[in-house]
Amino acid sequence: MTAQHGIWNDAPDAALLVAYANGDPSAAQVLTARLLPRVLAQATRMLSDQAEAEDVAQDALMRLWKIAPDWRQDEAQVSTWLYRVVANLCTDRLRKRRGVPLDQIAEPADPQRGVEVQMQDTARLRALSDALAQLPDRQAQAVSLRHLQGMGNPEIAEIMDISVRSVESLTARGKRALTDILQGRKAALGYDDDEP
Amino acid sequence: MTNRDDDMIDDLFGLAQSQTPAPSDDLMARILADAAAVQPSVASASPPQAGFMQSLMDLIGGWPSVGGLAMAGVAGIWVGFAPPTVVSDWTAELVGTPVTIDMLGSTDSYFSESMIDG
Repeated sequence: MTAQHGIWNDAPDAALLVAYANGDPSAAQVLTARLLPRVLAQATRMLSDQAEAEDVAQDALMRLWKIAPDWRQDEAQVSTWLYRVVANLCTDRLRKRRGVPLDQIAEPADPQRGVEVQMQDTARLRALSDALAQLPDRQAQAVSLRHLQGMGNPEIAEIMDISVRSVESLTARGKRALTDILQGRKAALGYDDDEP
Repeated sequence: MTNRDDDMIDDLFGLAQSQTPAPSDDLMARILADAAAVQPSVASASPPQAGFMQSLMDLIGGWPSVGGLAMAGVAGIWVGFAPPTVVSDWTAELVGTPVTIDMLGSTDSYFSESMIDG
């Protein structure tokens, strides 16, 4: 990071966005370094697909660059806005998976324990993402923000622009629905033993 | 829902939360290229070469100023030809009322008579 970037290190996201809109060449680099890990993590956890998650991250930040000249600092935090955009982009993609039979879990070809665990984790994450795709959009968003991002209900309420009570309802119903969907795949996902 | 079901879903949530992928250099590069491509640039549009008249117009503030100047000129001419009373009173205050001075005074009758007699 150069000295020019250094002056932006402590600046709020919104100030960086304004600087970007005013033509500052370093603002985008600082913003990207700051926001991309969060955006990519959110998309990866929801989609369980690296290529798709990267596409969503790129798309979300492109929307941020485009809205920069019209950004109103008093409206929302940049991070809140981004969480909302990523959640929407992910549910758009998850919706396309609906109707597609849930993936059959392949048996690990390599008997090595490390590889086996890694493959099982990958299969479990994909199964969770596919189950998320079966939920209504708002439930999927609320569940993912609560249980995949670990956010509190008030923060989720702000991101989704709904009441805290609605968040509680959506997350409870969503979690129950996910459990029902995944119940039939417990054995395939390796949850039929005592140890998960 | 049984406790085992809860364990399974909680384990899956925990597994998902543990994913913290590091953005690749390629992704960073793509995003920064996007940012550069759509970034508004203050100096992106170079001004066209201006001619003398355009420079003059720019100097005095463009067409709105020209309109104002024209109006002021017309008003000046009008006041010159037909000064309103208020202008006359105002100039009278400034420069005083015109006074006619009779330079001939009492000799007037003498000259008048001379001319008659003469």
